[in-house]
Amino acid sequence: MMDTGTAELLGESLEAAFRNETAAAVEASLAEVGWREALDEEGIAVVPLLFGRQGMANAVSGALDDLLTTALGLPAGPDTAFVLPEFGSCGPPGRIHDGALTVRGLGTVRTAGAAHAVVLAAGPDGALRAVTVETGKLQARPIGGVDPRLGLTAMEGQGLTASQGTASQGTAPQGTGIAAAAWEGALASGRLALAHELSGASRTMLRLACEHAVTRVQFGSPIGAFQAVRHRLAESLVAVESTEAAAGAAIEEGGEVSALAAGMAKALAGRNARTVARHCQQVLAGVGFTDEHDFHRYFRRVLTLDGLLGDSRTLTRELGERLLRDRRLPPPPPL
Amino acid sequence: MDLPEFRAGLDAWLDEHEPELRMEAGPDVAFDQEIEHLSKVKRTTYDAGWMRRGWPERVGGLGGSTLLRAYLGEALASRDLIEPGIYSMTEVLAPTMIEFAPAGLAAEMVPRLLRGDETWCQGFSEPGSGSDLGSLACRARRDGGSWHVIGQKVWTSLAQYAHRCVLLVRTGTPESGSRGITALFVDMDSPGVTVRPIRAMHGRDEFCEVFFDDVRVPLERTLGEAGGGWAVAMDLLPYERSTSLWHRGAYLRQRLGRLLASVPDGTIDPGDLGAVAQLAFALHARSRGTQHRMERGERLGPETSVDKVLLATTEQAVFDLVADAVPAAVAVGGDAAAGRWRTEFLYSRAATVYGGSAEIQRGIIARRLLGLGAER
Ligand SMILES: Cc1cc2nc3c(=O)[nH]c(=O)nc-3n(C[C@H](O)[C@H](O)[C@H](O)COP(=O)(O)OP(=O)(O)OC[C@H]3O[C@@H](n4cnc5c(N)ncnc54)[C@H](O)[C@@H]3O)c2cc1C
Repeated sequence: MMDTGTAELLGESLEAAFRNETAAAVEASLAEVGWREALDEEGIAVVPLLFGRQGMANAVSGALDDLLTTALGLPAGPDTAFVLPEFGSCGPPGRIHDGALTVRGLGTVRTAGAAHAVVLAAGPDGALRAVTVETGKLQARPIGGVDPRLGLTAMEGQGLTASQGTASQGTAPQGTGIAAAAWEGALASGRLALAHELSGASRTMLRLACEHAVTRVQFGSPIGAFQAVRHRLAESLVAVESTEAAAGAAIEEGGEVSALAAGMAKALAGRNARTVARHCQQVLAGVGFTDEHDFHRYFRRVLTLDGLLGDSRTLTRELGERLLRDRRLPPPPPL
Repeated sequence: MDLPEFRAGLDAWLDEHEPELRMEAGPDVAFDQEIEHLSKVKRTTYDAGWMRRGWPERVGGLGGSTLLRAYLGEALASRDLIEPGIYSMTEVLAPTMIEFAPAGLAAEMVPRLLRGDETWCQGFSEPGSGSDLGSLACRARRDGGSWHVIGQKVWTSLAQYAHRCVLLVRTGTPESGSRGITALFVDMDSPGVTVRPIRAMHGRDEFCEVFFDDVRVPLERTLGEAGGGWAVAMDLLPYERSTSLWHRGAYLRQRLGRLLASVPDGTIDPGDLGAVAQLAFALHARSRGTQHRMERGERLGPETSVDKVLLATTEQAVFDLVADAVPAAVAVGGDAAAGRWRTEFLYSRAATVYGGSAEIQRGIIARRLLGLGAER
């Protein structure tokens, strides 16, 4: 585990990196900070540091691509994008049929500038393979959507084969075999990252609303003096803290991510972020409804992040179904 | 003894002794029997040494980390051997005594509480002072070597069983607010103390009215400074939201587990269940952090209001799920299991009231954690 001094320093560097305007500049700064090396050396402990701050800053980067690629045991880098499952889904975005690959997934902001993209694909027998393809062979259609700044693209491709000369290339038939457990582990890491990004975004919405509450004066008082306003903001802090506690507890003693807990953290993060957004927008009122105020950027972000790697509603229902099958609660992390 | 060693030892001991610590369940189990049973559990675990861990040696403990206390209550609640509401009063009252009572008094009294030889109560609320504790009016006048207490308390849990009471009284002028309050440690068998139990909504004499008619309390029974009662009360409240809350969290998971194991297929909506399980997980995670902060000796403060809001929300969500899953049991069921769900569902409605209401907690969060300044 990282000591606090190292964590603090890394946190500060990451914060500075996320102050860059463009995704390309953020990516360059992250490379300078050595985020991928930190991920290799320190493991999952760097995930909260990075994604929490990315969320707080409303920044975009290919960090999720790096995380998922690394989690599958493949070499990550600025030139390698990771194709995410389609919005609202968490199944593999690729299918292998007769030795050829079909892709339907989501590209991240990295995709446009990367030469390769890792596609997780299921074969006819359900076995998973990670295939690295040339990005140019995929059709990428920018998704405007509610959060154009996130830079998501709809990725499609048919009849593809693995690109040449990549280290990830396996032998037969193409790509690298991925155990189901490895994908579950990667999903868990990704969900944990998104939970932190959602909570970071929630923190900023709350900060914006609190700043407004102590400066905006109506009826002769700062609106933060009115109990209805105070209680909305208090409720928002409880929501953020509960997300962070759950996300923190998803990392086990030995630095492993609990898949079950990461799913719960992601679901809580999505739901709590909506709660925070609702309360904070009400407190910000008119100004919070403008394009000029920063609030909407964060609101747009949480609406979108909730749908990546499993949305809150689906994860929650699936958890309930699983508990009903098992007929018992899983033991929580020990004291 | 560290936590892993304590856990392993206690788990093994409980495997062996669980049968004798089990409460006879049934619709007719009276509160008296529950209190008696609690004393038995405390005595047995004290005599076996478990209950003494995590408490300082000067009050009869065996030392060690506060996590041991947290785990003991968790283990007992998970096995359904205690009701944490009454068990965990110790976690609120003993630390107050250790911090504020004269050393000799704490050394004499705390072991009796830990061992279950005595029951104590907490006399804060009054008919005119609930949330606004600083306005309390029960008065104490100093006369030579004693305080003379005149007034009334209400909602005092367990007062009908209690041997002692941690009592807040007004010793300053009526207008002195929080500055004019003193904390006393009062023998409940003192002449002039009258206790009248109050039947609560869930069918138990949960709490009482307590009347003080010129009750003499020796000055040595002052907790903290004369006029320093507010500090005592403020110090005690975070405890209510740390170890006790951890115990209650364990109990809620145990009840949720019981519901899962016992309901017929198709009675629980998976989405609702998933949401409640997530709440319980977040509560556990949050409270776990608080236990570790306490163990490191950090001073607990307003941030524990977040824990309390999460607990109250989770508790009501758990029993709302129960009411949706087994509505007939809660509304019209006649067997012991149904009676218990009904009692627990009704009791859960108080979770947003006692120990500082949901609104008061949000007020603390707004002022102390979010820096929103004073309320208008
Ligand atoms: C089961 C149970 C056990 C209890 N045990 C004990 C005990 O052992 N010892 C003890 O001393 N007390 C005990 N209490 C009392 C408890 O602490 C009080 O009920 C609580 O502090 C609230 O006081 P109140 O009931 O007078 O409500 P009030 O203070 O009159 O409040 C009524 C409503 O108004 C709201 N309200 C009040 N002030 C504000 C404000 N400033 N802003 C917004 N809303 C506000 C409250 O949140 C509440 O919803 C117990 C209560 C219960 C239910």
